[in-house]
Formats: sequence, C-alpha cells, structure tokens
Amino acid sequence: MNTSKASWGWELLIWIFLFIFATIVLIPLVFMFTSSIMPAIEIMKLPYPWITSTFQWQNYWFGLRGADGSFLFLRNILNSFIVASSVTLTTILLSSLAGYGLAKFYFKGRNIVFIALMATMMIPFEVIMIPLYMVTMKMRIQDTYLGLILPFLTTAFGVFMMRQFLLTFPEEILDAARIDGGGEIYIFSRIVLPNCGPVVTTLGILTFRSQWDSLLWPLMVIQSEEMKTIPQYITKYMAETHTDEGIMMAIAVIASIPMFILFLTMSKYFISSNLYSSVKG
Amino acid sequence: MSEMITLNKKQKHWSMERKKARWGWIFVTPTLLFFMLFSLYPITNAFYMSLTKKDLLSLKPPEFIGLKNYTYLFQSADFWNSMKATALFSLGTFSLLLVFSLLLAALIISRKRLQTLLQMIFYSPALLSSIVAALIWLLIFDPRGLANQGLNFICHTPGIDHKWLAATNMLRLSTTIVYFWKYIGYFTIIFVAGIGSIPRSLHESAEIDGASRWQDFWHITFPLIKPTTLLVSVMAMIQCLKTFSTQYLFTGAGSPTKPINVITLNIYKTALRDHRIGRASAMSMILFLIMLVLTWIQFKASKSENVTYM
Repeated sequence: MNTSKASWGWELLIWIFLFIFATIVLIPLVFMFTSSIMPAIEIMKLPYPWITSTFQWQNYWFGLRGADGSFLFLRNILNSFIVASSVTLTTILLSSLAGYGLAKFYFKGRNIVFIALMATMMIPFEVIMIPLYMVTMKMRIQDTYLGLILPFLTTAFGVFMMRQFLLTFPEEILDAARIDGGGEIYIFSRIVLPNCGPVVTTLGILTFRSQWDSLLWPLMVIQSEEMKTIPQYITKYMAETHTDEGIMMAIAVIASIPMFILFLTMSKYFISSNLYSSVKG
Repeated sequence: MSEMITLNKKQKHWSMERKKARWGWIFVTPTLLFFMLFSLYPITNAFYMSLTKKDLLSLKPPEFIGLKNYTYLFQSADFWNSMKATALFSLGTFSLLLVFSLLLAALIISRKRLQTLLQMIFYSPALLSSIVAALIWLLIFDPRGLANQGLNFICHTPGIDHKWLAATNMLRLSTTIVYFWKYIGYFTIIFVAGIGSIPRSLHESAEIDGASRWQDFWHITFPLIKPTTLLVSVMAMIQCLKTFSTQYLFTGAGSPTKPINVITLNIYKTALRDHRIGRASAMSMILFLIMLVLTWIQFKASKSENVTYM
C-alpha cells in the first residue's frame, strides 16, 4: 500500500520532469516557426507574443527573393541540393563497390586494404582541410561544384557499413548467377545493390545530412555569391547590416524543410543512421 | 580420360579464383585511390606543412623551419586561449550531454506509453543544421529575447540583461546550450537502444529478489550499459572538439571572439585570414593528437568492458 503510493508520486514526478524538459527542447523550434510569420517589431516585443496578430507570410517571399531581388537564396538552395545529392550518390556507389569487394572476394592484401581504410576513419576532416584546400587550389577547382564534392566522394565509414552488411549476403545467390553466366558488374548492379535497400538508405541519409550541414569547407573553397551553399548564405545574411528577424527565421525554416520532409517520410532510417554512426566512435 | 576431367575442373576452379581476386581489386581500387589522394596525402602533407613556414598566397615553396611552429604555439597566449576555450566548451557540453542523455533514456524506457513521441521530441532539434540551430538561439539570446525573459521570470528579476552574447562566461554557456540542445536527442536515442538491449529477464529476476527501481538501475542497467556510456562519451567529446558553426556565427554577429575562439575557428582564421599555413597545420596536428589519444582510450577501455549476455 505504502510503496505503491510512493511509486505513484515518483511516476508523477518523472512525467512532470519529462514534460518540462520536452517543452524546453521544443520552445526554440516553436519560436522559429512562430516568428517566421511575424513582423520584426513584434518579435522584439516584450514579452514575446507567441501568436502574431498580423501573419506576415511575405517573410517567406522576401526570404527567397533576397534584399536585392536577386533570388540568390534559391540559387544557393539549389547548390546545396546538387552538392549533397552528388556526394550521397558517389558515397553509396563507391562504398558499396569497395564494401562488396572486401566482403565477397578473396585477394592477396585484402586485410591490409581493409585495415588501412579503417585507419583513415580516425583522420578528422578538420585536420586535413588545409592540405585539401591547397590541392583544390592547385587543381584550380575552387569556386566550383567539383571543388565542393571531390574531397567527400566516399567515406571509410560507408565502406565499413557496406562491408559489414554484405558479409551476410548469401554466397549461393552469387555463385548461381555466375554459373548462369552473369558478369561481375551485372551481378553487382542487378543482384547485390538492389538487395541493399535499408543499409543504402541509412548511409544515404547519413551522408546527405552531413553535407547539408557543412559550413567549414564551403567557406574555404567558395568565394562567389552564386556558388555558396545554404549555411554560407545564412552566415552572410547574418553579417549584413539591416537584417529583419522575421525574414531571418523564414530563411531558417526554408533551410530546414528538406530535413523535416526526409524525417517524416523515413524516420526509421534516421534512427538507424543515428545508431549506425554511434558505432563509428 | 576421367583424370583429365578432374584436372580440367581443378584448373577451371583455380582460374575462377584468380578471376575473382582480380574483380576484388577492381571493386576496391577506386576507393583506394580516392583515400590515397584525399586522406593519406593530406595527412602527411599536413604534418610536413606544420614543420614549414608558408604563406597561403605566395608562390614561394614552403620553407622548412623544424619545430618552430610548435614552439611558437606553446608560447602563444592566443593558442592557449583557444585550448582553454575548446576544453571548457568540450568538457562542459560533454558532461551535460552524457548525464542528461542517460537520465532521459532511463526515464523514457521506464514509461509505459509515449516512448516514441518523447524520443521524437528530444530528437527534433537534431534535424536542423548547426547553423540554423545557432541562428535561432542567436535571436533567443538577444537582450530582448526569450532567454532573458525566461530567466527573469524564473528568478523574479524583471528587466535584467544577462548578457548572453557579451559577457565572457555567459557567452561560453550560450554556445554550450546551443550544442546541448542540438545533440541531446541524438545521444538519448543511442542510450535508449543500449538500455533496450539488456534482456528483460535480468530486470525481472532483480525484481523478484526485491530490488527497488533505483537499485535495479544502479546495479543492473548502469554496469551493463558501460560500453554504450563509453562510446557516447568519446563520441560526444570528439564531436565537441570539432565545434565550429555556432562559434563562427556568434562571432560573426558581433560577439567577442576571445571566450569562444575554439581551436577549429582558430585554425580557420590562421589559415585563411592570416595566411599562415604552417602555423595552422601545426595547430591541426595538435588537435589530431588529442583526438587520437581519446580514440585510443576508448579502444582500450571498450576492449575490457565488452558485455555479453549468457
């Protein structure tokens, strides 16, 4: 009797704690959405009004149009899409190729290759960005898509992920296809790859997100306004003198929409990409 | 006749193995070439550069100066300030993340309903890019923003400006809050998976033995998720060491640089604003060394802490 009463109190306390914590976590998000349709004067009102009286939807239009009417933001959104999708595609292709080679073929030096690849996982991008920058300078690919994409064509982690997955791929299927006279390229593209759906999606989301988030590398290689990516556009917009807070938040919402859509349609893979990346360490 | 057939078969088998080996190399080669060019070469080059004096824009070849970049850094107040800023940020953020993600995960797991919804809520900030997260908080930390309103409401101190983006320690706290907010759900989910993988039977037998919930957590859950804890610690730590976006945006918006001049920001500025490639490389090698040591500690510790369920 006594214990159940005490645990009932605990239950309530835990729920209250979780509720408060969840509210605090959600406040900045709610703030972003509510202020994105407010005039700037209202956002800076004391106390913050939460629900606007004017519903300034134009913020989104002005955000896309830019202060000078050049629609530069749209162009920069496109750049982010181009770079993130290209990197995602090449990462999936190269990682699955190498992962397949390492998992299903026996060749001299295979273990050395594998260990060497895994060792590069320990090299953080921040440590090699200066030499990488000098490589792009030498190749004269600064300020181009190639310059943004080239250093990230694949990741050691992607190779690791694909290899681990393909180790369990049934050998009999591959042998049967070989006996039927299927070439290795055919087997890879028509039999192996189509059966990698979940792991490829997970890797794709992982890669796309990290590119969507990337700021440091674009800051180094991109100078011209048309070639900038979304994070760069936001930092530049911030540094301008007359910034309207409402428009700023509208830009923030626009920049986040693709991730929200991805999450709502594929939340399962988001969680698995989360857990996968925790193996990386 | 039959002998010839078996010989033939053997030969065929042997040649097939050789063919397979060749295809193995073909599949691996593009990736291998890529890593030689974009990982192996840059890391050796970064090390060499750290021993030279080189201006970013001059065409002169780098001048070898031995360890002078390192000795300069170790005597430079600016470098030590960066080390301090990075250490304060990393340790603060890391310990908050570790404690709260473990706590939240344990509490979420103990709920009978809304488990998924709670996880989704805590995870939602992780969907935003770092720069958007920093941007939202920049407005919240504004003198007229929500942070002051909230704190003044709790402390009953109307009208006080807590200088979130100006005072040294408040600014450090602000960057920590942004990071904590963005990553708390990320690590909570890892812990939820870790705790969820502990067999129910262990908890049940503890319950039969009369263990309280607290005893169950402290004597069963906590020791068994040690590998997860270790993993999250090192991951969070390395993640924090690489922080850049928040500090870049805040200083760009007018906050003082010194308190939050973390090592990555310093490397970026030394290389691209001051054009001192050698010095920036030396800094990045030091960062690399710190991360290697952390990874090594994780590796050592995780080997001795692996848990298997019989």
